[in-house]
Amino acid sequence: MSEHDDLMIARIARELRKPERIDPAFDGRVMAEIRASRFSGGQSAWQWLVRPRSVRVSPLGGFALAGAMAAALVLAVSQGENPPAPELGETTVAAATSTAAPGIGQTVQFVLRAPSASRVALVGDFNDWDDAATPLRPAAGGLWTVTIPLTAGRYTYTFVVDGEQWIADPAAPPAPPDDFGRPGSVVTIGGSAS
Amino acid sequence: MELSDAAVVERVLAGDGDAYALLVSRYRDRYARFAMHMLGSREDAEEVLQDAFVRGYRSIARCEEPDKFGSWLMQILINRCRTAGGRRGRRERTFVHDEAAMLSAATNHPADQSAWREEIHRALEQVDPLQREAFLLKHVEDLSYEEIAELTGVGVSALKMRVKRACDRLRELLQEVYSVGA
Repeated sequence: MSEHDDLMIARIARELRKPERIDPAFDGRVMAEIRASRFSGGQSAWQWLVRPRSVRVSPLGGFALAGAMAAALVLAVSQGENPPAPELGETTVAAATSTAAPGIGQTVQFVLRAPSASRVALVGDFNDWDDAATPLRPAAGGLWTVTIPLTAGRYTYTFVVDGEQWIADPAAPPAPPDDFGRPGSVVTIGGSAS
Repeated sequence: MELSDAAVVERVLAGDGDAYALLVSRYRDRYARFAMHMLGSREDAEEVLQDAFVRGYRSIARCEEPDKFGSWLMQILINRCRTAGGRRGRRERTFVHDEAAMLSAATNHPADQSAWREEIHRALEQVDPLQREAFLLKHVEDLSYEEIAELTGVGVSALKMRVKRACDRLRELLQEVYSVGA
């Protein structure tokens, strides 16, 4: 690389270091969005959810968690239907093959097998990642289920077990890790499958 | 005396959410510049930066080293830019090259800062996004390779290669304009 080249890069960098103009209302917009989420309770739920905690996992607990992950699944059913509980190990992702018309939406059943869990929550784009909004109910065979209405769209979600463990749904397409590398899954309702 | 980042984070965690405005004003300009250079659009940059600040606020309890809040926020911003770039990059890069403007910029002396600046931005748009990101962090944000590696999770040697390729590409794209005034 010649001295001429070095000088050229230095001049480019110097130009790019100059400040850029930004909308004077920018700070106000950011804080307005933050205040809105705070007043809706989003912040406290988020802070509670993401607060670092010490987690101790026994070997038995580890096996139970692995079992839970292997059996996690999501089912989508047409509006108003209430299907029987899925068999263990079933890994159907019916959301991707639903025949519901795009835009109308449908009822989606999320199921996780987690026999050792004391509580399970569903968090995702549809509930502002609020782990208090959509708890799953325990069912036979260590299953936890919840059925929620979703309009057509693509949603990222994950399960939160005992308020500590984020578990992506192995039966659904994975979402790219979020800003902090936490796992997630994707469900698409109506339109094209993900 | 100005509150340290760690002190502001502590106030936010204690319930004083409005204190976060101090962090917004502290990092807004520098990070807006990075986002604009990454995305090539002021509107997109402001949207992504706002998103990064809001995500930072919502996740502030996960900022394990509050005295390094700026780096932590930059990590979020880099990821948001990557996501936004992937979604919008193609659209951004489909702008029509105005031949007359290109010719005009090429014949202007680089001392004409406006034309030179415009030409740099045009060239930057044509650099691979990951190479552009590494170049900006190294040569504009003035970070060390070790700091960039920590922010991006990419190894130092891979980063050096990205920066080198970005420099080569910029030289190739800007050589003619630069030579006119060199």
